[in-house]
Amino acid sequence: MIQRAISGIEILAGLFLAFVAALTFASVILRYLFSFPVPDSFDIGRLMIGVVVFWGIAVAGYRDEHIQMDVLWTLVGPRGKRLIDIFATACSLVAMAVFARMLVRKIVVTYETTSQTFDLRLDIWPFYALAWIGIVAATVLLAVRLWRLMRPTVPAAGAKTPPG
Amino acid sequence: MDNDLIAGLGFAVLFVLMLLRVPVGIAMAIVGIGGFASLSGIEPALRMVALSPIRNATDFAFGLIPLFILMGAFASASGMSRELFRAGNAWLGHRRGGLSLATLSACAGFAAICGSSVATSATMARVALPEMRDYGYSRSVSTGVIAAGGTLGILIPPSVVLAVYGIITQQDIGRLFVAAFIPGLLAVAMYMTTVQIIAWLNPDAVPAGTRASWRERIASLRNVWAVALVFFFVIGGIYGGVFTPTEAAGMGAAGAFLIAAMRRSLTPRQTLDSLIESVRTTGAVFTILIGALLFGVFLAVTQTPQKLTDLLLALPIGPHGILLLLLLFYLILGCLMDSLAMIILTVPIIFPAIVDLGFDPIWFGVVVVMTVELGLITPPFGLNVFVIRGVARDVKLSTIYRGVAPFIVTDVLRILLLVMFPSIVLFLPDTMG
Repeated sequence: MIQRAISGIEILAGLFLAFVAALTFASVILRYLFSFPVPDSFDIGRLMIGVVVFWGIAVAGYRDEHIQMDVLWTLVGPRGKRLIDIFATACSLVAMAVFARMLVRKIVVTYETTSQTFDLRLDIWPFYALAWIGIVAATVLLAVRLWRLMRPTVPAAGAKTPPG
Repeated sequence: MDNDLIAGLGFAVLFVLMLLRVPVGIAMAIVGIGGFASLSGIEPALRMVALSPIRNATDFAFGLIPLFILMGAFASASGMSRELFRAGNAWLGHRRGGLSLATLSACAGFAAICGSSVATSATMARVALPEMRDYGYSRSVSTGVIAAGGTLGILIPPSVVLAVYGIITQQDIGRLFVAAFIPGLLAVAMYMTTVQIIAWLNPDAVPAGTRASWRERIASLRNVWAVALVFFFVIGGIYGGVFTPTEAAGMGAAGAFLIAAMRRSLTPRQTLDSLIESVRTTGAVFTILIGALLFGVFLAVTQTPQKLTDLLLALPIGPHGILLLLLLFYLILGCLMDSLAMIILTVPIIFPAIVDLGFDPIWFGVVVVMTVELGLITPPFGLNVFVIRGVARDVKLSTIYRGVAPFIVTDVLRILLLVMFPSIVLFLPDTMG
C-alpha cells in the first residue's frame, strides 16, 4: 500500500512539474508570437513549483535521496549504520512534523486574508494546502521508514548500500 | 548566553547532526531554528518556520532549478549523450587518445544541456566506457577521463550549483551562466591537452581507434543539432535578455522534450521516469536550500559572517592570500562534503568577506564552483568516482582515482589561471546589456 501511495505521489508531482514546464513554455511563446500573455502564468507557475518542491521533499525523504554526509556511516558496521539511520530519520521526522504543523498556520492566515493571484483572482490558500499535503506525506512516510528501521526484519525503503 | 557562544554551539551541533547522517538541509534547518529560538524566542522562530519555506519554494526565481533539472533528465533519457559521443568519435576517434577526446567533447556537449555532474558522468560511463574498453584503453585512463569529464556538468552552463550560488548571494543568474561559458570551454581544452600528454607519455594506454570517412563525419553531425539548438536557445536567450533564467529553463525543458518526441527517442514511460527523477532531485535540492535560508537567519542574528569578515581582513596576507586560503579550505572540505551542500553552507558565511576584499561576486561564483567540483573527483569521497564504479563494478576505486589524478592537477592549474586573470570569467558578462 505504501509503495502504491509513494508511486501515486511521484506520478502526480511529476505531472505538476510537466504542467509548470508547459505553462512557462506557452507563456513565453504566446507573449512573443501573439503578444498575448497567459493570465496568471507567473503566479500559477510559482505556486505549482512550490507544490512540486514539497511533494519532492516527501519522495526524496522516503527514498533516502537527500544530500547527506556518509563519512561516519561508511566506517561503521551494520548495527552502527542502523542506529545512525534511526537517529537521522527521527530528526527528519520531528522537523517535518513541526513544519507540517506550522504550515497550517500559514494556510489559515492566507485563507483569512483572502490572498489571491494577480490576474484571475484565484484564492492562493488551496495551492498552499496542496503543497502542505506533500509535507504531511513526507511526515507519514518518514514515520513508516522509522518504523521499518526499528524492526530489523523489515528492510527500510530506499536504504543505501555503502559506496564503493 | 553570549552570541558567539551560541554561534559556536550551533556550528558544533550542525557538524554532529551532519556526521550522524541527518540530511544536510534538515540539519541546517534544525540548528537555524533552534539557534534563532534561543536568541529571539520560540514564537518568532516558529513564525519563521511557517513563513520562510513556503515563501522560498514559491519564489518564481527559484523555479529555474526544477526546470533545468527536468531539461537534463529529458536530454539524458532521450539518448542525446550517445549521439554526442558518436559524433566526437567520428571526428577524433582515429587519433591516439581519440576516444578519450571524444568522451570529453561529449561530456561538454551533454553538460551544455544538463546541469548535473553526476548525471553527466553516469550517462557517459554507460556510453563511452564500453567503447574505450573494446579498443584496449587502460582502465585507469578510461574511467579517469569520464570522472573528470563529468565535472563539466556543473561548470558549463546551465549549472544547478551556479544557479544556487546566484540565489543565495542574490547575484544575476543569467550573468553567472554567461560568465561560466569561457571557463567551461577552457576546462574542456585543458582536459583535452591532459589526454594528449597522457597519450604522449604512455601511448599504449590510449590506442588509436578506427578512422571514419568524411561522409561518416558529416553524417554524425546530423544527430547533434538538437543539443546545439537547445543550448544556444537557452543561453542565447538569457544573454540577449529575451527571457529570464526561469523562463529559459522552462523553454529548455519543453524544447528538449519536443525535440526528443519529434525524433521518437523518448517513450511515454521514459518521459514519466524523467519527470519523477526530476521531482526527487528537486526535493533534495530544495531541502538543503530551504535549510540554508533558515540557517542564514541564525547566522545574521549572531553576526557570524561580519565577524568572520573582520577576522579574515585582519590577516596579514593580503586579499589574494586570503582568497587562496579560502580555496584551500574548499579543496579540503570537498574531500568530505557534497559540492552543493558545501556552497550552500559556506558561501553565506564568507561572501561578505569576498565582497569586502574587493573581489567580483560573479567571478567568485565561477571560481568557487570550479573549486568545489574538484571534490567530485578527489578521494576519499569523490562522488563521480563512485558513480563510475557503480557502472564499472570490476574496476577498483584506487584505479579510478589513479586515472583522475592528472585531471586534478589540470583543475588546480585552471583555478590558478582564473585567479590570475579574472577577465577570462568577466569578459563575456561585461558585454551584456
